[in-house]
Amino acid sequence: MNGFGYAVDALAAWLAGGEPGWIALTIAVLAVWVVPILLLVFPIAALGQILERKIAAAIQRRVGPSSAGLDGPLRFGFRVLLFFLPRARQDRIFAAFCNLRPVRSLLLVSRRLGLGQFVADGIKMLGKEDIVPTGADGIVFRLAPYLALAGAFLPFCVVPFGQHLVMLETEVAALFAIAVSGIVVVALKMAGWGSGSKWSLLGGMRAVAQLVSYEVPIGLAVGGVVLWCGTMDLHAIVGQQYEPGVFSLLGWNVVQSPFLATLAAVFFIAGLAECQRSPFDMAEAESELVSGFNTEYSGLRWGLFAMAEYTEMLLIGALLATLFFGGYQSPIGEEWIVGLPVWLEVPIHGAILGVKVVTVFLVMMWIRWTLPRFRVDQVMRLSWLVLVPMCLVSMFGLAVTLLAAGGTHAGEAFGRVASRPRPDLHWLGHLAAWAVPVAIGACLVVMAKKKHGQVHPALQRLTGGRS
Amino acid sequence: MTIEASTPSGERMTLNMGPHHPATHGVLRIVVESDGEVVATCTPDHGYLHRSIEKIGECVEWPMFVPYTDRVDYVCAMNANLAYCIAAEKLLQSDPANTFVVPRRGECIRVLVAELNRISSHLVAVGAMAMDVGAYTPFLHGIAQREGVNDIFEKLCGQRLTYNYVTIGGVAYDLYDTAIDEIRRFLDQFEREMVRFNKLVTTNTIFRDRCASVATVSAAEAIAWGLVGPNLRGSGVDFDLRRDEPYGIYGELGVQVPVGQAFAGRKGSVGDAYDRYVVRLLEILESIRLCRAVLELLPPAAAKANDPIGGWQADVGKQVKRPPKGEVHVRTEAPRGEMGYFLVSDGTKALFRVRCRTGSFTAAGIFHHVMRGIFLADVVAVIGSFDIVVPEIDR
Repeated sequence: MNGFGYAVDALAAWLAGGEPGWIALTIAVLAVWVVPILLLVFPIAALGQILERKIAAAIQRRVGPSSAGLDGPLRFGFRVLLFFLPRARQDRIFAAFCNLRPVRSLLLVSRRLGLGQFVADGIKMLGKEDIVPTGADGIVFRLAPYLALAGAFLPFCVVPFGQHLVMLETEVAALFAIAVSGIVVVALKMAGWGSGSKWSLLGGMRAVAQLVSYEVPIGLAVGGVVLWCGTMDLHAIVGQQYEPGVFSLLGWNVVQSPFLATLAAVFFIAGLAECQRSPFDMAEAESELVSGFNTEYSGLRWGLFAMAEYTEMLLIGALLATLFFGGYQSPIGEEWIVGLPVWLEVPIHGAILGVKVVTVFLVMMWIRWTLPRFRVDQVMRLSWLVLVPMCLVSMFGLAVTLLAAGGTHAGEAFGRVASRPRPDLHWLGHLAAWAVPVAIGACLVVMAKKKHGQVHPALQRLTGGRS
Repeated sequence: MTIEASTPSGERMTLNMGPHHPATHGVLRIVVESDGEVVATCTPDHGYLHRSIEKIGECVEWPMFVPYTDRVDYVCAMNANLAYCIAAEKLLQSDPANTFVVPRRGECIRVLVAELNRISSHLVAVGAMAMDVGAYTPFLHGIAQREGVNDIFEKLCGQRLTYNYVTIGGVAYDLYDTAIDEIRRFLDQFEREMVRFNKLVTTNTIFRDRCASVATVSAAEAIAWGLVGPNLRGSGVDFDLRRDEPYGIYGELGVQVPVGQAFAGRKGSVGDAYDRYVVRLLEILESIRLCRAVLELLPPAAAKANDPIGGWQADVGKQVKRPPKGEVHVRTEAPRGEMGYFLVSDGTKALFRVRCRTGSFTAAGIFHHVMRGIFLADVVAVIGSFDIVVPEIDR
């Protein structure tokens, strides 16, 4: 049990005034865990929206949001803080504050970055008319966005944000994350069906077909990591990737074996599909299905869907980091951070995980604004004929590596979580374990390029000689 | 795949795609009957943008109809102006008393603006097709380049979309002072920009696979269904009016005509959506070359507008007030293919009948034929690949 667990227990005991019942425990969990996490993830997801708009603008050589600054929220804050003064006084103080040189330039920067856009968008969404179409199945239609959001948020329970910062430390964390995020499928289907529109229905069908198919490679990729680490506990998986010394990067799963690197790639691609991000955004394909499953949604409910999508992107980033990229651990010198006091260690680790998640987030955006969309049959083919076989081969390779490594040594638990011994290959073994699969993979890639990669000579004129 | 094989139960769903749908490029309505994702039948229903342009042509004087031709195809208004003006000139010249000729400089400027407008029109076409397939960015890059053409046209005639620049007997204004330099500069940077555009989307594997072997139209089918322009050439038919029935100064320019040849490689076939798309891109390159060639041929401006060499506008003011009786049909190569005007004059100030033949109309006619058994996602790609502009269908 970690520090936050104690906090929950203590709060619950205080609330109940003795042995806590389930109501007191629920309130304590909400107070200690859910509200702070919501307060953390919501603004990040909202800021993600701005980030996406700015990045899209940069890729498309536009400016993007450039006039909504933080003036409005700031003024609101002054109003609240100075509620005891008359409005004119409040405004005078606010104007004086804004005229301070650093504040003025900061406000200008925030305007240029469009930082206030998400506040404006939020207010706009809240103010919109709440429309439930005539043909809609009211309850299903209304329930769907909340379920989608829940499905996207719940897996964060098991993601370790730091050495002492995991909400739900359970033996089956990895399974829990995958299983719970499956709720999103139901939510999308409900949205598609409940809207009573054919476009929504088609979008919902596509979403279900795609999400169910891509849960297989995701599950297999996680399975590979579980096979390697011997545990489903995400915190333990992170703990296993600990490496003392400056090059703590070398402890990460992704550099342990080429098969794990392959699984990481598969996880990322399948994760893109799970978030319905381009090139897998068939379910809300704007040019085909108007807006897919959320065609009929407006206002806050639509906002919840958008929030769920961004949260899911954050989730995929967090899981990718946790499973393959050392979780919250620093790539250069983890040893020193571990020794820090909790109040220092938690924000540092949280920030490191944040950087990793945002990196994945950025790559997803980059892909979204560059690539066209797959077609239904191509999406299915990619999942079942490419990703799933890749996963199976990788899992087999991992098993063989583990067997060949035979004489493993008992790894230290590094004072965190019990850790299963990792296979200790001699450096020759490491070399072979990397060289052979990489060579085979390179051969496959070259063959595939020869078979599929020919470019018609006329096209070379279009691309300036090269393709 | 035949639709019968894929829908054994025979249950169909009717989808109204449009008239307000993001992918129908305006207000085209397509009634799609589908079994889930597979299209069974597809019926284009047009008329939502009908503005009686042909009837208006019977009510206004000859030169006053030129602005209306802009609205027939607002994506390539210069070419639309040009088609009508050439037809009107030919009808006027059928009277031996009318001896005017379009000045040489005017002819050069006409071809120059027509080719520049072909570039901007094809940019919209390929960009919109990329957007229909799901890549939003290339569309905006295309639009950004189109701005270059629009800026030149704005300086030239004050308009950015509906130019009303080509007139009966020449063009409305001479080139402005820095026009030649600006056009050269635009062409240079645009050529570099197209390389980036093509690397971004044209050779992208996802894009190629999305369009390969989709809505394949064989050469015989293309001719039978009356496809024209890039849609016809995409099917491998080597026919271009600029080369085969040259008008203006096109005969001196030696137009090279690209045709479809299964550009998508192993997975593609001649006449598929990808071929039509690539043919447009190759035509853009050809237009760049033609623009440069025209700039070489351009005679220096004369002091008088009706100078037969350096002028730009012949005197036709009196002739169009008392036009001869007769009828004429002229066809020109617009970006969306053959744009023909059939004019009948009864000797009064207004034409007796104006008939406009456009490429999009026949292209929309083949929809129900090529869309059987394709995926719903491909419907928009096919609409994009035929480069439909709705006012051209409805007029």
